[in-house]
Amino acid sequence: MRPILEFAGVTRAYGPRLALDDVHLAMVPGELAFLVGPSGAGKTTLLKLINRELRPTSGEIWVDGIAAHDLKASRVSQLRRHVGVVFQDFKLLPRLTAKENVALALQVGDLRISDDEASERAMDALEAVGLGDRGGAFPQQLSGGQQQRVAVARAVVGQPRLLIADEPTGNLDLETSWQMMDLFADIAAFGTAVLIATHNVEIVTRLQRRVMTLVQGRLVRDQPAGRTGRMAWLASS
Amino acid sequence: MAGVVVKAHFSRRRIVRIVVANVFRYLFRGAARNWFRNAGSTAPALSSMTLLLLLSGLVGLVGFSLHNLEQVQAGQASLLHVYMREGVPSTDVNALWDRLASDRRVASVTYVTKAQALARAQQIPGLPQIAAATDGNPFPASLDVRVKSIDDAAAIDNLVRTDIAVDALNPTSYDRGAYQRIQAVLFGLGVAGIAFLLLLGFVAITVTMNSIRAAIHSRRDEVTIMQLVGAPRWMVRGPFVVEGAITGALSGAVAGLITFGLAVAGMTAGPTSFTQFAPGITVTVAAIAAAIVFVTGLGLGSGSSLISVRRHLES
Repeated sequence: MRPILEFAGVTRAYGPRLALDDVHLAMVPGELAFLVGPSGAGKTTLLKLINRELRPTSGEIWVDGIAAHDLKASRVSQLRRHVGVVFQDFKLLPRLTAKENVALALQVGDLRISDDEASERAMDALEAVGLGDRGGAFPQQLSGGQQQRVAVARAVVGQPRLLIADEPTGNLDLETSWQMMDLFADIAAFGTAVLIATHNVEIVTRLQRRVMTLVQGRLVRDQPAGRTGRMAWLASS
Repeated sequence: MAGVVVKAHFSRRRIVRIVVANVFRYLFRGAARNWFRNAGSTAPALSSMTLLLLLSGLVGLVGFSLHNLEQVQAGQASLLHVYMREGVPSTDVNALWDRLASDRRVASVTYVTKAQALARAQQIPGLPQIAAATDGNPFPASLDVRVKSIDDAAAIDNLVRTDIAVDALNPTSYDRGAYQRIQAVLFGLGVAGIAFLLLLGFVAITVTMNSIRAAIHSRRDEVTIMQLVGAPRWMVRGPFVVEGAITGALSGAVAGLITFGLAVAGMTAGPTSFTQFAPGITVTVAAIAAAIVFVTGLGLGSGSSLISVRRHLES
């Protein structure tokens, strides 16, 4: 199967410091993987490289056939329509309702989508994340877990081939975190590759999915699904 | 049975209508809403730009008047009055007339009798009193010579000054250097006016750029989110440019209306003196000036916000 995400010898430096050092990895559609590592290991940098918020210092990054490492600034928006992103702090527009936040992601990607269609698809996405009855609520009227669900709905409404999430459970309680993980598993089951950067030991060990471990910018371990062993570093991070 | 996704076929007209509606919403309606929401922070830019555009409009009208004045002066300077001596025979006048008419530097020669000179003098403020204070007609007959180039006026003056038909004491109306002095003054005023307008333009651009920069910083999160969900660059930058254009257009409209109003008020209050002090300024000219002020405001507003967006909004 052709990889949906591929890193080939990717290095990213901030001045003299290497945030990522010669990283090689690949993900295929439908795969759910965790990216773990201590603070400052380079997890966020890796995710930002996928979404072209950063450029690599060297190496190649391919996202759904697009050369993210070599993309002009004017074409970054095209890449981002292939990648759904979920942030720890949700990043919802406070002046828009949940439904409008989700619909916005659809319409900015494709101006040919009418209001009615965008609204209908946004409601479908909100229903899929269990918020079908909160479409008219503004972000400040929703709990943290609900806001994160809206963010997930926004990330997947355009049916991206790849979904990346940076500490998506960082602001959520354990029960809500498990609900979020179920949601990500469902999304992966429908063929979207899902890459989650997290510190949550319990989730990573219990879910038994693929785990990639970054330490000081180097990908030191890549454990396939079902073979996630003890991760001593997590206890000390 | 599993659901089947059927791609609906929409007419081109419907798609165009949807695209136009979306562009209007994200570019213009969004910009207008943000402009009104940030009206408080835009107010200083709006008021200073209005003031600057108003000054520009007035400077422009004054400049146009000076240009017309210079044209009048140039027209007068190219007309040389060659005064005939008292009792000169018509043969001598005709001989001089022929000599001047055949000169390639001369555009036209007209003979003005003493009576015509008196009649003309009576049109000029102050001169009828002088004429009435003396016995008879004090104004001499003359040949009015229009030269093709003002630079040739001195040569023609030299040519006629010693002619037998010409008055030896007061041979011509030629005033060496008078026109050059007027030109120098008008040139200086023109340069000062242009420098003033450039300075005003610079200030207007800077003020608008700062206001747009403030708008970008106040909506930094919104911009980031738009970028992260895949909004194209024009959709992120466009509303800021439209906001600048709204500021510029409003400033231009207000400044243009005031410029037009002041010009019309001047024309209505004292038509004669207004024509003397501001030759060439008519209602049409004032309306054109107002339109130019409006277009300048629109251009300055959108142009300076475009510069600001390019400088302060990274991709």
